[in-house]
Amino acid sequence: MAKNRKNQSAAIRFGPALKALFLCLLIAGSAVGYVWQKSQIYQLGKQIRQRESRLVQLTRDNKKLDDQLGLLRSPVMLDQRSRELNLGLVPVQPRNVFRIPDHNLPPRQWAARQPEAGIP
Amino acid sequence: MIKQRQQFHRTLGLLGLVLLAFLGLGFRLLDLQVWRHEELVKLAEQKSLQTTWHPARRGDILDANGNQLATSVFVKTLCADPSLIGGQQAVVARAIAPLLQMNEADLIRRLTPRIVQNAKGERVTNGLHYVRLQRNVTDETWRKIKTAMSQLTFGVDEKKLSRAHRTFLRGLRSSAVFTEPMDDQLRVYPNGMLAAHVLGFVGTLDNTNHTSELFGYDGVEKFFDDKLRGASGWRVTGTDRRKNELVAMRDEDVGAQSGLNVVLTIDAAIQHIVEGALTNALAKHRPQSITGLVMRPRTGEILALASFPSFDPNNLSTITTNTGPNRMISDVMEPGSTFKTLVIAGALNERVVRSGDPIFCENGVFRYAGITLHDSEGHHFGNLTVQQVLQKSSNIGAAKIGIQLGADKLYAYMQQFGLGAFTGIPLPHEASAGRFVHPLKGKYSIAQIPMGHGVAATRLQMAMAFAAIANGGELMHPMLVKRLEDSSGRVVQSYEPKSIRRVVTTGTAKEMVEALKTVVSKDGTAPLAAITNYTVAGKTGTAQKVVDGRYSSEKYLVSFIGFFPADNPELCISVVMDSAKEGGRAFGGSLCGPIFSEIGRRCASYLNLPPDAAPTAPVIATALTRNPAHTP
Repeated sequence: MAKNRKNQSAAIRFGPALKALFLCLLIAGSAVGYVWQKSQIYQLGKQIRQRESRLVQLTRDNKKLDDQLGLLRSPVMLDQRSRELNLGLVPVQPRNVFRIPDHNLPPRQWAARQPEAGIP
Repeated sequence: MIKQRQQFHRTLGLLGLVLLAFLGLGFRLLDLQVWRHEELVKLAEQKSLQTTWHPARRGDILDANGNQLATSVFVKTLCADPSLIGGQQAVVARAIAPLLQMNEADLIRRLTPRIVQNAKGERVTNGLHYVRLQRNVTDETWRKIKTAMSQLTFGVDEKKLSRAHRTFLRGLRSSAVFTEPMDDQLRVYPNGMLAAHVLGFVGTLDNTNHTSELFGYDGVEKFFDDKLRGASGWRVTGTDRRKNELVAMRDEDVGAQSGLNVVLTIDAAIQHIVEGALTNALAKHRPQSITGLVMRPRTGEILALASFPSFDPNNLSTITTNTGPNRMISDVMEPGSTFKTLVIAGALNERVVRSGDPIFCENGVFRYAGITLHDSEGHHFGNLTVQQVLQKSSNIGAAKIGIQLGADKLYAYMQQFGLGAFTGIPLPHEASAGRFVHPLKGKYSIAQIPMGHGVAATRLQMAMAFAAIANGGELMHPMLVKRLEDSSGRVVQSYEPKSIRRVVTTGTAKEMVEALKTVVSKDGTAPLAAITNYTVAGKTGTAQKVVDGRYSSEKYLVSFIGFFPADNPELCISVVMDSAKEGGRAFGGSLCGPIFSEIGRRCASYLNLPPDAAPTAPVIATALTRNPAHTP
């Protein structure tokens, strides 16, 4: 009987110890989790900052390339280049242009676009 | 018992001390949290919060086809902390001077802390922690500088150096040369001088926080400054001990709003054509100034506007008193014979005369109200029709038509055609010439003004008046801006062609066109203004310049304003030359006519305008006719 009581008391003491351990683990886990979360926030913040500055940089680079493309396509630049390369390009003369009647246009509009009589 | 009492007193004393300590702490808490709350919050915010400004990108100026005429690039202001450089100025200067294209010795001098005397005579260290090295450093250059700084070598084995020395060298490499936190902007005009007088230029305003701001100084840059400028953004955020931003502690975060893009009606290709023709004329005739304008008479859209001498807005040192303002809108001049067009249009509209009516031109000499009028070049015209008065540009004929029209009506037509009033072009410094357009009071004004003397207008006003005739008698508002759009291309505001008023009837305008066509014929005053395959209508002008209050016999302002195809006008072109250095007297037809013709020919080709005068057979058609085998 005494032995059984002894065993019983031992079993009763193991429960609170487990509870205490669980509580400790919970508190420690919460603390570590809190620190981990803070660290994650800091790291993510750092990444956001880096990506933001990268985005700004890429936007600027994109704009710069866009500007370069615009410059290369500009009529002034094309004219200069054609002169430099001596390509012998000359403006198209009216006699080099065929004008094809657009019969889909209403007659009045077509007439307005037509040159004077006697022109082929 | 005594012992117990002693113990009680000790406990009481201890409790009293603890209570006192708590009272003290409570008092301190009240002091910090309540009484000095505001002050300490500010102090804490100063230490932990940081406000950074995001500069707004200035909007672009684009031509009608989206070609960039002005744009902005972000640049950095390069600074250095001489206190972090120690005695290594030469090493740093050698590494970065070539990248900055600066003199090495000059850079060493700037990197060295100097002791100077301030206004009070005290000896102070100037630039110990901050010295500005260069402005407008591009991102690319800054990246190169960073690389060069990180790879600095000092000719010693750093492993053998003391820890403090190694820390110093590490700090030198990483932090001695830095940039301002807020970037500046550099305004770039990719086409250099193209349309310089339209675009204008920008100035730089230094802010207190070591940054600068652009503001429009002239042209579209000035007129649309508030639209182009945009709005800066800001961010209030928490920082760590090293002043690194803590993203989680961002408080206010307002993004910068870029300025709007201004899309002009100017066509860069046509502007280039006009400027090319004017530059050639400038070299050939060496005038004091020359201007050119191309516009669509139906809408009032200005496709090109050039004024020479010009400047490069990328290089403000090219701006001199000679490059001056935009002469097209700010110079007021006597228009000369081009003004006859407006007088005759008024007279025809009022049915005072008809195109075929004969006008006796007094064989070249006409005395009126005490003055004697002559026809130019010693012409002795007898009877001329109204149309021929324009064709031959007879002063006497125009004076007589003006007299028939009457002073009041002539003045009314001057106003109707827009003289003496601002045209409303969205450019600064426009002159109205209002004080030169007034009711005719002098005895001989009615004879003098119809030939373009004693009246003044800007070149744009005259061009708009001609465009009104080309447009069937309807005066249009000059359009220089098509629309405003945001950085993503979304239209924020668009401008539509706007009619100001009808000046003359369509019938009168047609009669005028027929008369103006004869000016470009071989019997007219401007056969050189003709354009192959197109019918041109226009008028020459040759006005003596007023020098020291008197008409000069050496300096002339010559012009040609015309439009084509005459019966269905697509383009109206004005060319005005001031004081050409020609041997003998120069005329609008001989000097400006060929320039008009060249501009017109090239513009017609670029815009693919259908010819309205018999052209030669198409080349391909000829080839097909010659070789019928190829006919499908």
